[in-house]
Amino acid sequence: MVHALSEIRRVLVRAGVLIDLRPLLEHAPIEVVSAHETRRAGMVDQLPDDRANDAAANRVIAQAGEQNWFVKEREEFFPFNYYWDSPKETQAYAETEWANWFTVDEEVWRNARSMWAVANADARVRIQFKMLIARWRKPA
Amino acid sequence: MTIEKDPERNEIKFLNQFADFAASRRVLEIGCGDGRLTWRYARSVRHVVGVEIERDDLRVATIDRPSDLADKAVFTNADSTQLPFSKETFDIAILSWSL
Repeated sequence: MVHALSEIRRVLVRAGVLIDLRPLLEHAPIEVVSAHETRRAGMVDQLPDDRANDAAANRVIAQAGEQNWFVKEREEFFPFNYYWDSPKETQAYAETEWANWFTVDEEVWRNARSMWAVANADARVRIQFKMLIARWRKPA
Repeated sequence: MTIEKDPERNEIKFLNQFADFAASRRVLEIGCGDGRLTWRYARSVRHVVGVEIERDDLRVATIDRPSDLADKAVFTNADSTQLPFSKETFDIAILSWSL
């Protein structure tokens, strides 16, 4: 990762902007959402390797700041939502695409199925990632 | 399977606030994937180069590229630790879900 930051620094103009945009999955909720209510089925369980990757990313960007490769100007968090029409689709997607990031306890899927079954016809299933966005600037 | 990603468009709202996109800006997007985010800002800038290590994603990005962006958004298969560009080529670099 440090090599990537070094390369970005090289190809950026002086006073150029680096945007760090990434999901933080530690407390991502799985919810059943309809027009008039949102019910939480549970949370994903971030895998230790993925948690370690997040920590390493935080470390390496902080080091880039300490070395004055970039200066942090601004940082915020925002929600990034994925929606599916049913818990079955959600589970299939999560187990195929995100198996390296997190697992979901069977009880959480059971909760989602129960909530979805009694919810309004417009109910969908949502997984919400917490996103980090930060602006760094290469010194002039 | 129907999946909807960020229908609230939070990602592009925050990116617009943070990135200072303007017609003169040359942008490097690292980890552009299938171009999902690229299409949302490419019209606001001078030029975008999307870098992605997964060839399948790059193929999708190239196929899905809107015709009016053919000259403005290009993609390349590269490793972010060895970027195939000269020094001081870009005004903005976006680490897109890739740090």
